[in-house]
Amino acid sequence: MSESPQDIQKQVKTYLIIGGGLIVMTVVTVWLSFVDFGSHSNNMLIGMAVATFKSSLVAMFFMHLNHERPLIYKIMMFATIFVVVMFILFSLAHGDGLHMPGFESHAAAHS
Amino acid sequence: MEIPYTVSARPDTGLWNAKIGIWLFLASEVMLFGGLFSSYIFLRLGADYHWPVHVLNVPMGFINTLVLIASSVTVIMSLASLKMGKWGACKLYLLITILCACTFLVIKFFEYSDKFHHYGVVMKDGTVLEGHLKDSQYFIKFENVTSLTVKADGQYPEFDPAYVFQHCTTPNPRLKTPGGKEVSPDKAGLAVIEEEVRKAAEDKEEAAAKAAGRAPSLVPPRLPITLTPVTPLSFAVNSTALPITQPLFGYTATTLNFKDNTTVEGTLTDDKMSLHVDKVDVRSVPDIDHSVAWKYLGEKWKDAFIEHRKERTELFHKEHPEQDPMKEEEFLRRGLVMATHTRLPEAGHHEAEGVGELFESVKETFGGAVHDYPDVEIESKDIERWSNFLPKYNTFFAIYFTLTGLHGLHVLAGIIVLTYLLVVDTRKFKKDPEHMANRIETAGLFWHFVDLVWIFLFPLLYLL
Repeated sequence: MSESPQDIQKQVKTYLIIGGGLIVMTVVTVWLSFVDFGSHSNNMLIGMAVATFKSSLVAMFFMHLNHERPLIYKIMMFATIFVVVMFILFSLAHGDGLHMPGFESHAAAHS
Repeated sequence: MEIPYTVSARPDTGLWNAKIGIWLFLASEVMLFGGLFSSYIFLRLGADYHWPVHVLNVPMGFINTLVLIASSVTVIMSLASLKMGKWGACKLYLLITILCACTFLVIKFFEYSDKFHHYGVVMKDGTVLEGHLKDSQYFIKFENVTSLTVKADGQYPEFDPAYVFQHCTTPNPRLKTPGGKEVSPDKAGLAVIEEEVRKAAEDKEEAAAKAAGRAPSLVPPRLPITLTPVTPLSFAVNSTALPITQPLFGYTATTLNFKDNTTVEGTLTDDKMSLHVDKVDVRSVPDIDHSVAWKYLGEKWKDAFIEHRKERTELFHKEHPEQDPMKEEEFLRRGLVMATHTRLPEAGHHEAEGVGELFESVKETFGGAVHDYPDVEIESKDIERWSNFLPKYNTFFAIYFTLTGLHGLHVLAGIIVLTYLLVVDTRKFKKDPEHMANRIETAGLFWHFVDLVWIFLFPLLYLL
């Protein structure tokens, strides 16, 4: 416990600001999901971008990942790589679609 | 042996041990939830039906998000208070965190039970009608029962009159055996029936043995026996029962096949499903204007739907003049799905759109029965399949229950850990606040992770 009470007071203020920000962003996420951005994938992208930003705030400030020992970054790096690889494998499996009559030309046009 | 480095940092890692431990655990959790999130993507991309959007109760999910964010703040405030030496505040914040976690689970419980009682009926032409069952049940009614054929072959499951006759709606049923005896479907009656079955089997075996010139078998194969009701009987079988408690294998217009191998013959009088329709979805119907929905809901609702679609189409053309509405999932969801509380033909326009829809669902959640849902009696020949909103209904609900169920178990684990800290540890570690602070920090890291997972779950399942 190297922090002085003043430091902690300052941190408490940060926590409250981040908490408030998260609540505001939750309201924004709900509102954005009812806005028509032309296609649903746009809504998807925007929604996920906000969620990723929110979760990085939690990780950075609440879980103190903004100042942590190198070992913890190493541990989390492996887990993250694993998840990213898994996401890629899943998308590959989906991208490798079945052949359907009448859809060959469509697939060729996109390749 | 004392666990080393609970307070001071280990020289080689630069961290106290529990911190490495919790981060290793969180790394495994990231991979666990990562796997489930990728299966969500896989199921969603591969869905051969219109993926449900905004079908869960958004206000409840929203409140739960706020509750979890608040609890994330309070758990870290608890740590900060302890570091400033304020024991009382530390304990109070821990208590608030636990209460928030409990609130989350209570809200989740109401959400789940709402899904258990909400049904979707997929029609043969692709129409989907959603709603609640009248009396929460769906009965198959069977009358004029003229015979019961019991396959009394001594195999499991054996004939149990109680199993079949708990669904009989005629008081004091009486049955006649082939031997002409009158019995009730109870224990005494069963003994009489068993005796006849045994005798019939022995007689047949004796005759067969005599004809073949051999000694009769001591355990002759038992034969089915047909019982005739003295007065015609009626049956009513609840078809909404869980599959495992569902008593029927199946039924036709003239037979009911019970799972204990009893076949009941008679006349099917009613297998119509009474539904309070709250939503009509015609996205998968090739010929929307002749959807089976209008057969049940009538011309009034069809007209309301056509106007609803027209308005949405015009709006879409105005906003996106370049695009074909029928190729946009967003349009299909708003234009070809009609919630029946948004348009009451009699009451004229009563439209709730966008965020306005949320207020409707809030009213509904808190029992404000403002809606006059149309009632329909659906014939079973039009139904492809039906179910309440459980994993069996579609892959959306499968992944919804898997993800939120696993997340809910994490919340429960959080409650147990935080309660332990509050009740046991705060007493034990009064003299060693640094160790206590590390314990709260460890539990807090887990708790923030639970919040972090929900930050993704809420938009993915409720909003997008």
